[in-house]
Parts: sequence; C-alpha cells; structure tokens
Amino acid sequence: RQYGGYDYSQQSGFVPPDMMQQQQPYTGQIYQPTQAYTPTSAQSFYGSNFEDEPPLLEELGINFDHIWQKTLTVLHPLKVADGSIMNETDLAGPMVFCLAFGATLLLAGKIQFGYVYGISAIGCLGMFCLLNLMSMTGVSFGCVASVLGYCLLPMILLSSFAIVFSLQGMTGIILTAGIIGWCSFSASKIFISALAMEGQQLLVAYPCALLYGVFALISVF
Amino acid sequence: RWGRARGAARGRAERALTLSAPAQGGGSAVIDMENMDDTSGSSFEDMGEMHQRMKEEEEDEAAEGEAGAAEEEDGEFLGMKGLRGQLGRQVADQVWQVGKKQASRAFSLYANIDILRPYFDVEPVQVRTRLLESMIPVKMINFPQKIAGELYGPLMLVFTLVAILLHGMKTSDTIIREGTLMGTAIGTCFGYWLGVSSFIYFLAYLCNAQITMVQMLSLLGYGLFGHCITLFVTYNIHFHSLFYIFWLGVGGLSTLRMVAVLVSRTVGHTQRLILCGTLAALHMLFLLYLHFAYHKVVEGILDTLEGPNMPPFQRVARDIPVVSNAVLNTTAKAIALTL
Repeated sequence: RQYGGYDYSQQSGFVPPDMMQQQQPYTGQIYQPTQAYTPTSAQSFYGSNFEDEPPLLEELGINFDHIWQKTLTVLHPLKVADGSIMNETDLAGPMVFCLAFGATLLLAGKIQFGYVYGISAIGCLGMFCLLNLMSMTGVSFGCVASVLGYCLLPMILLSSFAIVFSLQGMTGIILTAGIIGWCSFSASKIFISALAMEGQQLLVAYPCALLYGVFALISVF
Repeated sequence: RWGRARGAARGRAERALTLSAPAQGGGSAVIDMENMDDTSGSSFEDMGEMHQRMKEEEEDEAAEGEAGAAEEEDGEFLGMKGLRGQLGRQVADQVWQVGKKQASRAFSLYANIDILRPYFDVEPVQVRTRLLESMIPVKMINFPQKIAGELYGPLMLVFTLVAILLHGMKTSDTIIREGTLMGTAIGTCFGYWLGVSSFIYFLAYLCNAQITMVQMLSLLGYGLFGHCITLFVTYNIHFHSLFYIFWLGVGGLSTLRMVAVLVSRTVGHTQRLILCGTLAALHMLFLLYLHFAYHKVVEGILDTLEGPNMPPFQRVARDIPVVSNAVLNTTAKAIALTL
C-alpha cells in the first residue's frame, strides 16, 4: 500500500527524513531502521503540499514495531542479545516505560515522577561513566539511556503488583529481589554483547542491580 | 611589531583596509578607513593587530571561518549600522573563538576521565578475592603488604552502603528535614570514603608511611565491606546485642586488616600508633554512627506495635484495664526516644 509516495510493503522499514540520502537496499534486519527504502520523490519531500508530508511518528523516528521487538528482547532473559541493538539510539521506548512506571506508582498513591526522573538521569550518567571506563570501545550516552530504559520494564510489573498487594512481607522481598535480578541481568547481557566485554557480566550487572534496587525502593516503600 | 608597523603605514596611507575572506567562505569584507569615525575608539595600531590576529585565526580555524564569513555577510545584509557595529561584531566573534578554544583545551586536559581507566580493569574473580581478603588480617607486618590499587570494588562498596542506608532509612521512616534521603545517604558515604581517605593519607604523609592516595582509597573502600555486612544484617534484625557482636567482630576484623597493612608500611612506634589509632577510631565510630543515626526510630515503633495484645477501646465508661498502662508507658518511651 502506498501512502504519499512511501512504500510500506517492506517489513516495517522506514527511514527518518534525514536519512533519506542513503540509498541502501533493505537487508531485513529489524534493529536497523536506518536501512533505506527508496521513496519515489525524495527531493520534493520538503516544501510540498500537505498530503506529501510523512506521518508525524515517522518524522519523529518513533517506530512502534521496533520498540516492540526490543521489548521482547528484554523480556526473555535467556535469549541471546544481538549486539546491533545498540546501533540506534531510541529514547521513545524508554520514555514510554518511565512514564508507565510513574503512572503505576501514581495508581498506588505515590506521586513520584520527580524521583523517577532524577534517579534515572543520575543513574544513566553514572553507568555512562563506568562503562566508558570499563570497556575498550566507548559508549554513547544515548545508548546507555536507551538500554537502561528498556530494561526498566520488569520494574513496571513490580510496581503494578504493588498497587494491589503490599510488598513489605517475605513474598514481597523475594519478588523484588527476583525482579531486580531480571532487570539487571537483561541490561548487563545487552551491554556486554554490544561492548564485547565477555567475562565481566557480573561486574556490569552489579551497578545495574544497585540502580534498579533504588527504583524498587521507590516502588516498595 | 610587524602588525603595528603595518597598521601605522596603512594609517598614513589612508587607504581602504581589506580583510581577506577565509578560504572556504564567501565574499570579503571591505572596511573603508576613510569613512571610519575617529571616535570609534580603536586606533590604527589596534586595527593592524586585529588584522594580523584575524589572519592567524583564519589559518588555524578553517571550519569556523565559514561561520565568520556568514557573520560578515550577515552584517552586510542587515545594512551596515555603521562600521562600528561590524567591527564590534568581528571582535566579539574573535573573542568567542579564542575563548572556546581555550575552554575546550582545558576541558580535555582536566575532565579527561580516561586517566582513571587503568583502575577499573578487573575480573570478577579478583574482586571476589579481594572482598574476602579484606576481612582477614595479615600476620606478617615486617615487610610491606601489597595493596591492590583498583577503584571498581571500593566504588561499588560505597554505592552498596548508600543503598543499605537508604533501605534502613526507609524501613525506619526516618525523616530528614533539610535535604533528601538520597542526598544524605550519598553525602555521608562518599564524604566518609573520600574525606577519611584524604585525612589518613595526609597523616601517612606526616608519619612517613609508604602509601599512595589510590591505595588508601582502595584500602578504605574495601574496609567498608564489613560495614555493609553489619548494617545489612542489623537493619533487618533489631537486637542491640547482635549489633554489638557484629560491630566488634566484623567491624573489628576489617579494621584489623587495614591497621595491619598500614603498620607493615610504616616505620617507628609513634608513627604507627598515631596512624593506626586514628584509622581504627574513625572506622569503628563510623559504624556506630551509621547504626544509631539512621534507624533509631524503629525500636519505639516496634515496642508500640508488638506490645501486649490490647482490645480495641470502647466508647463506654469502663474500668481502665491494666493493659492501657502498658500502652501509656510505651508511648511515653517512644516519644522520649524521638525527642
């Protein structure tokens, strides 16, 4: 199906407008939305009439299908992560997850969006410094923020559980510990596969566990 | 010197001074000296110097030249507000570029965290070994003991202590009036680690001990492992006697280890006494402080909540049961504790 000159027949590949000049063939990898497909009229993209403008989500670079794929990667802790996940910096998914986390806290009666924002900002900064010091190749701040944001998803399960049940008993402690382990395991798995830091998964997982532990502290208390 | 002479020569000739454009840029800006207002405040000598400086700038910064040319064209496009406006803009542009260059040089020199890179190159096995070794005091104090100069383990231990403190404060509903829980916890732990390390390093310098700053940071950081264990256990199991046992046992072991390492690196009895006495006192007192400052409210609450089973109060005149005396006493005790 054609819309405004863009071909959606390929598998959810679309190109943000500024990448239009790369006329590479689509290779079918789902984690690289920057692989181009050739629009029919690239030059008349800007300045033409209203029907030729791309949809807003496309311009913003938000691709719900990619977000969904990356979410599934996080949710399967035993699935081997692809190193090319880190090639693109996608902050829309993490933003959605942070807002969802704040919303579930709100449902439990805690208006703590500020804490979520502050802790995630400081935590991302700390992980960024640490990973730059520990890895051979550097890492960009956007990648760190993106990965940490995606791995926040199990914490949303914890805080939604906290809406109806109190987490301050023994089952709460066990559940919290399990969820923290799940989050930090996924995050460290993605980090070491992307930064080629084999053998140091525990060393990367522990700071992630501390960061997610602080989030869990907000959910529980 | 060349610039001044040239400027003076030009001033004498009173010809138009042409500032050549950079290589990539667009047109050139021509400043007609004849039209220049004498009250502009810049002498011909300054013009010459500025001209020379700008030429050097153009040779250096090829990329910013485009912006400069765009700036000049912009000035021309806006219809010259007089040469003063254009000169002022060029001078401002110049000052900005020089300042930016200097700032980026200073930043890359001082804020380069890559100098810390060698201290984070560890394996998990090494970290585990060092954690366990930090609780075992060495016996041989006659030759200097080796201290691993790494910062990953100590940094993670400080953050763990922050997390444990936060957990303790949350379970005991500690209220910090001026500040936040997180800020207090981070400030306390990092302040202790960095401050006491620096202080002991200074004392070691006075007492002629062979230890570097990184080694001291590492030693004290690993010494916090005992604190983490003690606080983790005693924040959840609230017995005073248990805390004292842990304080002496676990805290004492990690302190002994640090003291032994320092003794092995210091010569002379007085110096050893000063250094190790100070470190031991600070380390043990810090654990005591952490225990008592951050969850003392718990005891009062526990006593009130877990007191003898009392029936709910009824709103009829009745004989005051014996039980309510107990409630009164424990409430008074709780209030006294909080005051």
